[in-house]
Amino acid sequence: MTDEQKKIYTEDVIIQSIRTSPGTDVPEGFAERVMQGLEPRRPSVWKRLRLWLIRPQVMTFRPMTVIPAVTLAMALIALAVINNDTPAPDRTAAMTSVRFVLHDAGQQARNVSVIGSFNKWRAERSVMWYDPEARAWVLEAKLPPGDHEYLFLVNGRELVPDPQAPMTRDDGFGNRNSILFVNGDDEQAL
Amino acid sequence: MKEEREADIVRKVLLGDVQAFGLLVREYQRPVYNLMIRMVGDEDKAADLAQDAFTRAYDKLESFKPGRRFFPWLYSVSLNIARDWLRADGRDRLVFVEDASVMARQEDTPDEQDTLHARLDGAKAFDIVLTLDPKYREALILRYRYDFTMQEIARTLETSVSGAKMRISRGLDMVRQKFDGGVI
Repeated sequence: MTDEQKKIYTEDVIIQSIRTSPGTDVPEGFAERVMQGLEPRRPSVWKRLRLWLIRPQVMTFRPMTVIPAVTLAMALIALAVINNDTPAPDRTAAMTSVRFVLHDAGQQARNVSVIGSFNKWRAERSVMWYDPEARAWVLEAKLPPGDHEYLFLVNGRELVPDPQAPMTRDDGFGNRNSILFVNGDDEQAL
Repeated sequence: MKEEREADIVRKVLLGDVQAFGLLVREYQRPVYNLMIRMVGDEDKAADLAQDAFTRAYDKLESFKPGRRFFPWLYSVSLNIARDWLRADGRDRLVFVEDASVMARQEDTPDEQDTLHARLDGAKAFDIVLTLDPKYREALILRYRYDFTMQEIARTLETSVSGAKMRISRGLDMVRQKFDGGVI
């Protein structure tokens, strides 16, 4: 094991220990004790009015009132499209199909997601599915050209770099992110 | 969206629904209580301070900005309660004050086998995290346990974003050095 590998491995253990350390249970009846000590607020009329004004609004529409407005909006959009000589760039044409694969022969993981710069590191946007034939977690996605950093999030808590990624990058916080290069030519499998 | 739900709860509390605040207490009592244990090291005192933290959060609720997440704001309030107690108790160790440089002590390099055992021991790793100066320890916990953004960590610990990044990086370095003698 090289010094760099030791460093990465140790930091993985540290980060994992922070994520999973159980902590101490709250004493019984704690929330009730907190609540007993609180007095209800008595907001002024002005404060009530201000809070009423900033409340979340639920808007309902009746079809008969919406149809004329929608018709007008569509007419304006059509007019804008007709007057616009320069066609909008087709973003989807520049996208390349990519397949993320994380091998897991015994299906040890309960769930796996891909998180990365292309989905703002949000796990819920790129949930992988388990392919029993490939014995791996798989996700197909379309990505724009460029280099993208990513990691696998296993069981919602463990960050795993892609063992098959040809390159990784230090994120500056002790983690190694895998790097995926998309050149825009044809499908890329990882 | 959780933020929207919490903003709605805060609004109800501000309109006089004190029981709605109980939802926030039950949601966040564990992390706040555990923060206090880390800060003061005594479970009874930690429970008192955690209660003070929720009481102060209730009193200051109007200063919470609805567009933001509630937990980082609550954590910030809780940290201030802990700091106040440490100062009043004469235990203020200048925690959270930025220093110009941190020289982590070089440990004797353990032999390879000991190092390997230590690495595999996550509980030991977290024990080392708990020995860090609070400004590094809390930065690591906010980042890796509670998934705070850098901006949220900076706001909570009252530092800049680059300061927050530095604390996380140095915190990891210090823990790692205690593990294996510091391969940097």
